[in-house]
Amino acid sequence: MKKTKTITASAGALFWVAVGLLACYGASRLGLGNVTDPGAGFIFFWSGLVLVILALIVLAESIHSSEDTRGTGQLNWTKIALVLLSLLLYAFFLERLGFVLTTFVLLSFLLGCIEDRNWVKSLGTAGAAALASYAVFELWLQIRLPKGFFGF
Amino acid sequence: MLESLTSLFYGFTIALQPHNLFYCFIGVTMGTLVGVLPGIGPTATIALLLPATFTLNPISAIIMLSGICYGAMYGGSTTSILLNLPGEASSVVTCFDGYQMARQGRAGAALGISAFGSFIAGTFSIFGLILLAPTLADFAVKFGPPEYFALMVMGLTVVAYLARKSMAKALMMAILGILLGCIGLDPITATPRFTFGMLELADGIGIAPVVMGLFGIAEVLENLGVLSKADVFAEKIKGLFPNREDWKRSIGPLARGSLLGFFLGLLPGVGAIVPQFLSYALEKKLSRHPERFGNGAIEGVAAPEACNNAAVGGTFIPLLSLGIPSTAMTAILLGALMIYGLTPGPLLIKNSPDLFWGVIASMYIGNLMLLILNLPLIPLWVRVLQIPYSYLSCFIILFCLIGAYSLNNSTTDIYVAVVFSFIGLLLKKFSFEPAPLVLAFVLGPLLETALRRSLILSDGSVLIFLQRPISAAFILFSVVVLVAPLFSQIRLGRGLSEED
Repeated sequence: MKKTKTITASAGALFWVAVGLLACYGASRLGLGNVTDPGAGFIFFWSGLVLVILALIVLAESIHSSEDTRGTGQLNWTKIALVLLSLLLYAFFLERLGFVLTTFVLLSFLLGCIEDRNWVKSLGTAGAAALASYAVFELWLQIRLPKGFFGF
Repeated sequence: MLESLTSLFYGFTIALQPHNLFYCFIGVTMGTLVGVLPGIGPTATIALLLPATFTLNPISAIIMLSGICYGAMYGGSTTSILLNLPGEASSVVTCFDGYQMARQGRAGAALGISAFGSFIAGTFSIFGLILLAPTLADFAVKFGPPEYFALMVMGLTVVAYLARKSMAKALMMAILGILLGCIGLDPITATPRFTFGMLELADGIGIAPVVMGLFGIAEVLENLGVLSKADVFAEKIKGLFPNREDWKRSIGPLARGSLLGFFLGLLPGVGAIVPQFLSYALEKKLSRHPERFGNGAIEGVAAPEACNNAAVGGTFIPLLSLGIPSTAMTAILLGALMIYGLTPGPLLIKNSPDLFWGVIASMYIGNLMLLILNLPLIPLWVRVLQIPYSYLSCFIILFCLIGAYSLNNSTTDIYVAVVFSFIGLLLKKFSFEPAPLVLAFVLGPLLETALRRSLILSDGSVLIFLQRPISAAFILFSVVVLVAPLFSQIRLGRGLSEED
């Protein structure tokens, strides 16, 4: 068990090493400039380098420590993936289908599928919530929400 | 002093105008509501409402938005006491003893001392703000890029030092925040940096979608299928006025919590979360009966509640006198000030005294409104909390999405919020604290500009940071903070994690 935790923590630290190195590489392509005239990549390069050093310290810590580095309990990855996918689709369709329709579909999905609610109740709640939020944000607070080709 | 009081009186003439009173009321009520609701915080709410304030005059808008900031501190304690579920990250500590008091039938006293404590601390921090902000602004006129750079470095190192887990991990998050915050056009040469050819990234990644993703949506994702319906105390809450014994026990913790919160809130990056842990640890250490803590000690409610309210007042000082945001919440307020055509910084108080003194006076009025309204409204908040979390979580997601979209009317910001929600979830999973990331994200562009200007100014000599006394003092303090844990097994922040 401890070995698995160490491997996970080490893999995490190596991921940050890779991020730091990528930042350094990208920064060198942008141009580092010099200390009298720092270039566009100056801050990225030095930040990337410090990130690599810190990730190596965390790697060393994870190898020598017996602490469990996982912060949260068991996560429901299937539901999380479904919610994230639905949110990405929401962003994709929002300006095409308009706020009310897209929000109705998203809320129906979240309430009915993710939270295992009764479908009829979910559709009703989603419809009411989509219309109410349109009224509050668009009509009352005058926040411009996308209308889509239906015009709402 | 007399000048400040005269200016404050002028501020009251502005804040007491009917339309400003109305926006103050809306702000504190919204703040309390989002403080009560877990998942959606004041930062997300300010971002959500910011586009709606574009048609208002700047004073009314800032009065409303700052009302959300301190109103949330009042609301957060309600859920901590009644549900053992902090509505706000800055109310976590209130759960320890507040919930135990509620279980012992003393929910009323816990809610009462929390409201009165918040009011006392809020009043204290407003007077601190009145005295310190103008003085600091006068002093900050002498600040050049090296001083600003050193001050921001100090803020970031203090945040890392106060991290409750690994300090190296906290520093990593700060560096990641700088990297992400600097994405966009180079401030000096306008070269696109890490934009991958996307025009939407030319202005950089917005703070609002990052905060909505990291804190709002990530919180919902973490609790998917875990929380169903909140287990609220259904019995009637009685005795909201603490008795004489409660006051006797609480008066010291209230004073210490207010002082600690206010002065820690002054430091860029510290915010309201860490001070309340410190204040709880301090009270436990000072108590003759530390074993009572965690079992319903009223001191364990009074001190952190006073502390988080005083800290909010403290965070306004670097914002209004230096133009440096010390939390994500004040970062959005800084953005709001700029949208309204104001220049945050040392000259704000001189150039816009009506805004500065009007907002300060409104904070006092808002605190009074919260004290009067908060206790009678508790039954209403309890009813809100009885809505199943599945419904609440869907609406929190929706509000976060609207908030992310509405600032720039761009779906790219929704994608950013979704990506950061996943990042936030992974960070929580692997015990990385997101707070240093957000602070560094906010300070990153300011820090970069200050660093590059300093180097240009000194013709490439990094010694400029040590040759100027103010920046040298900030740098020295940062080095001490970074090096101290190497020589000591005890680190303040790590000690705090035991209180979690």
